[in-house]
Formats: sequence, C-alpha cells, structure tokens
Amino acid sequence: MGGLKDSMRDAIKQLAFRTSVDRLKKQGVTQVNVLGLDRIAALIEAAVHRSLKSRLVGADREVVADATKAEFLRLLRSNEDLLREKSEVERMRERAEEELDALRRDLAQQQSALKLKLERLDPAAAGRWHGEDGAIAGKVAAIVQALANGGPTSADDVQRRLTELVMDVVSDERRDAEAARQALIDRDVAAMQRRIEKLTGSLSLTEHKLQQLSAQHSLDSGISSIYREVQGLAPGDERAETKKGMMAAILEANLRLQKRGTA
Amino acid sequence: MMSENKDKDAKTHGVLYIGMDLGTSRTSVSASNGVRETVCSVVGYPKDVVSQKLLKKDVLFGKEALEKRLSLRMYKPLEKGVLKYTGEAKDQEAKANLKAAQDLIGEAIRLAKPRADELVYCVIGAPAEASVKNREAIVEAAKAHVDAVMLCSEPFSVAYGMEMLEDVLVVDIGAGTTDLCRMHGTMPEEADQIMFDVAGDAVDAVLAKRIEQSCPGAQFTIQMVKDLKERWSFVGDAPEKCLVELPVDGKPTQFDLTDQIRAACSILIDPICKGITKLIATFDPEFQARLKNRVLLAGGGSMIRGLDTAIEKAMKERLGGGKVLRIEEPIYGGANGALKIAHDMPADYWEQLR
Ligand SMILES: Nc1ncnc2c1ncn2[C@@H]1O[C@H](COP(=O)(O)OP(=O)(O)OP(=O)(O)O)[C@@H](O)[C@H]1O
Repeated sequence: MGGLKDSMRDAIKQLAFRTSVDRLKKQGVTQVNVLGLDRIAALIEAAVHRSLKSRLVGADREVVADATKAEFLRLLRSNEDLLREKSEVERMRERAEEELDALRRDLAQQQSALKLKLERLDPAAAGRWHGEDGAIAGKVAAIVQALANGGPTSADDVQRRLTELVMDVVSDERRDAEAARQALIDRDVAAMQRRIEKLTGSLSLTEHKLQQLSAQHSLDSGISSIYREVQGLAPGDERAETKKGMMAAILEANLRLQKRGTA
Repeated sequence: MMSENKDKDAKTHGVLYIGMDLGTSRTSVSASNGVRETVCSVVGYPKDVVSQKLLKKDVLFGKEALEKRLSLRMYKPLEKGVLKYTGEAKDQEAKANLKAAQDLIGEAIRLAKPRADELVYCVIGAPAEASVKNREAIVEAAKAHVDAVMLCSEPFSVAYGMEMLEDVLVVDIGAGTTDLCRMHGTMPEEADQIMFDVAGDAVDAVLAKRIEQSCPGAQFTIQMVKDLKERWSFVGDAPEKCLVELPVDGKPTQFDLTDQIRAACSILIDPICKGITKLIATFDPEFQARLKNRVLLAGGGSMIRGLDTAIEKAMKERLGGGKVLRIEEPIYGGANGALKIAHDMPADYWEQLR
C-alpha cells in the first residue's frame, strides 16, 4: 500500500502550484490554511476506505477495489503515454533545429562562394582587352599594308611586326577563352542563385515547422484538471433549484448573444 | 500525432474549467487544475523589426510589457470596464485595441495551462454594461482558445462564488468602474445594478493632483501614484503616517502624504453610499433590513483600509444602520466565482454552445 500512498502524494504534488508568500500578499491574501501533502493523502485514503466500508458489502467492495486499481493503472499509463508523446515532440524539435542549422550553414557557404565568383569577374579586364584588340588589329593592317606596298624592311622591323602579329593571334585566343569563361561563370552564377533561392525556401519552411512544433509542445505541457468529466450542480446542493434557474438564465443570455454572432 | 486544439474526439483526458475576471487594470484566471494567475491588462507590440528581433516576441503582456514599454506600442484595451473597441469604429486605433483585447484573453487562457487533450470550458465575468458588440468581441477572442465560453456579469460572479445568492448587495470597486449589484435569488436585472466611474483610476487621478499641489518639485508618474496608493491606501483614522519618498530634481525627498491619500481614497465613499441607498430603498420593504446588513465589498478597491467602517458610518447616517463585509480574496473573487459557475453549469448547457 506504500507504493499507492507515494503515488497519491506525487499526484497531489503535481496538482499543486507554487507561489511565494510575497506574491500571495500582493494578491491580497493575508492568511492561508496549511495542509501537508501526507495529511492530504492520508485524508483521501481514509475517506475512500470509510466510504467503501459504509456503502458496500463484501463482494461489492472487492469489485470496486479492483475497478479503482484498474483506474489508477489506467491513469498512470495515460501519464506515461503523454510523457512519451512529449519526448517524441522534443526529438522532432531537435531534429528540425539541426536541419535548420545545416540549412543555414549551407546557405552561408553558397552565398560566400557566389560573392567570391562575382569578385573574380573583374569588369575592368574586359575593357582593357577590348582596347588592346583594337591596337593589334591596327598593327596587322599596317604590316599587311607595308608588305603589300613592298616598302623598305629591316630584319628588326619584320621581327617587331611579326611579334605584333603573334600577339594578335594570342589576343584572339585570349578573347575566346575569356568568352567561354564568362559563359561558364554566368551559368554557375545562375545555378548558385537558384540553389540559394531553394535553400532560403526550405529554411523558412523548416523554421515554420519548428514554430509549430514549439507551439504544440507548449500546449501539451499543460496541467491536468482535477475533473475527468463535466460536473454540473452537485445533487445534494441545498440551493440547487435557485442555482439551476440562474444557470438557465446565463445560458439563455449567452445563446442569444452567440447565436446572433454566428447568424 | 498531436491533435488540434478543437478536435473533439481527442479530448479524452478530462475537463478543465476556467473562470476569468476581465478587468480594466488586471485580468485574473482561476482554473480547475489549481492554477490562479493574474496579469495587468496591458499589451505591447514591438515598434519595429529591430525591437522584435531584440525582444524575440511578437507580443508582450502585463508587467513584462510595462518594463519594455520604450520599444513597444502599448495598448490598454479595456477602459471603464469595457473594450475600447465598439464595433462601429473603423479606424486603426480601434482595430488595434480589439486585437490587443483578443491577445490578452488568449494570454489569460494560456496562463491557466490547459492541456491540448482536455475539454476547456470558460466563464468570463464581464462588466454588466458591456455592449453587445463588445460581448461578441470577447466571446470571439475566447472561442479561439476554448471549446465553449459563457459571459456573465462580474458582480454576480463575485456573489455566486461566495454562495451569497439572496439578499446581498455586492459593491465591486475596480479600476475603471465601481459596480453595485443586488442579489435576490434570481439573475439580477438592470434595476438591480448601478455602475459609475468613480473607482481606482479616479482615486489615482485625485491623488496625483493633490501631490502636485502640495509637494512642489516632486516628480512622479501616474503608475508611481497607483503603486503608492496600493501600499498606503486608507480612509478615516490614519493607521500610520504615510511617509513617501519622491524625487525632487533627481534627489529622493521624503513627503508626508497622509492627508492626500485619505482625501483621494475618500472620494469613493459618497457615491457608493448613494448607490447603496438607492438599491436598498427600491427593494422589497420586507427584505430591506436584511439587505442592509449584507453589503459585500469586493474588487481591488475593497483593500482600502477603513473603507468598510467608513461606509457603515455613512449608512448609519443615511439608512439608520447597516453592516459591511469584505471579500476575503479581492483579487480572485471574480475569477473564483466564474469558475464556480463554470463548474455548476450542466453538461448539456455547455454542449449547446460548442
Ligand atoms: N491595496 C489597495 N488599496 C487601494 N486600491 C487598490 C489596492 N490594490 C489594488 N487597488 C486598486 O484596485 C483597482 C483594481 O481593482 P480590480 O482588479 O478589482 O479592477 P479591474 O477588474 O481591473 O477593473 P474594472 O472592474 O474596473 O474593470 C486598481 O485601481 C488598483 O489600483
């Protein structure tokens, strides 16, 4: 029976709420009645026993005791179920958080890679080569012109002009290579941008999921009511009739108000 | 998987009743899981994205909102006991106040710590004078969080909670309004109730004015005045000297505010006695004597020391006598009563409102 007593003590403890003397004072409470947990547990036990004894004959007593035991075990089980659900939610939440972190890291990496690429794309270089191309073309025209005209040519002169010609070819190659590189970069940039967009999308999705999980979590960790079923007026209430009339009047006023709202 | 709050089938764990007192200055809840909480009726929203990032919240309530008010848009959604929103006003301010009221009601319900798998039934004590639009707004706000909700008059729930259903006169002294309600065994009607706006806020205003006039250079805010009133309030013979420190040019300076506090708190006595007299004089003569001897002071204002004696004295002059009682728990009287009503409401009544 000690186990049951302890469980009862724990259950009562769970139903209680904590507050400080200062807080109570602030709320206008000046005196409190103090009743220890053990005493409450003992009172409940005594009450159950007394009512069992006074109301039931032997056979019934056992049936009720069994039913009570079953109910108690059921309560314990439902508590365990809830604990399990709670840790499941916590695990899901942790996973979502990890996913979120990974996404954030990935996004940051992609963004800095893109930045690097864009920096390498030096727009000044293109302009410079453009100018050089023009100059080389001019020089080729001059060599061709000179050779065609059959004017005086020294070895030095030819060597210089040939070098210029080679440079011209190299410059062409260089330009082609640059164009290809540019196309590649453009494709890379577009792909990266798409990837970043996608990452941003899944990031906000995961964040949303996390929020939902958190909301669920906080809803679940509520405190159990002391009632398993809807109550209503106690049958033995001395003023049941008066109160019934009042309840009916409150309901009527609220039906009027709330049906009006939905009409 | 978790179920949604409104899912009826999943609510197999139990029934949580919540009683709520929705007040101008504070909102309290009392619930059948033992939770009792109270929150100042103020709501704050971050002024901009920067504050929002910093505060990490979309909305703040009560004390926390007051502490961070510099980075918040602040709302006090109730005024003189009713929502500032009237249903007609279309301007931004009215809408913002409605949202603040709804968020406040949601927060009060969250404070009661309901479980997702419990049926939640809530009774809200609202001022008797609240307009239909106003009541609808309150119901709508609550319905987003509970399975069914009912409103009832605030002073009635106080009386019900104390099992004083017959021949009792409740005087509920709140912040925005003082509500008088005569109970005679059935639901009180319009003729049984009187409301006026001489209440806690009016006392604060008078006290602020008196301090301004008598304490040259003293610096204070209305919140400071309210705090010191709540610390020192009394009427009649002073139980102690009210020595209060207020800054003058930044330097804490002591003032004796005994007379000012007495004078400010005393503004409640006359209108309350007039109200009592009216409700007694128009009552069935056979029961007048009994009613006179069962005047129940409730609400935050009932904590003013000496107020019961002062009202008894005034009743003796006007009505030849009377007895004034004080509620034991002024802060939770309304919420406790609403909780009791929720509990006593038959199951099929609740069903009709789901
Ligand atoms: N010790 C005290 N002495 C005097 N006044 C007090 C004391 N404590 C609280 N009050 C005042 O009581 C008022 C709040 O009372 P209560 O909480 O019953 O009102 P409310 O329900 O918020 O307002 P209302 O009923 O007008 O909507 C405030 O004006 C507060 O300053």
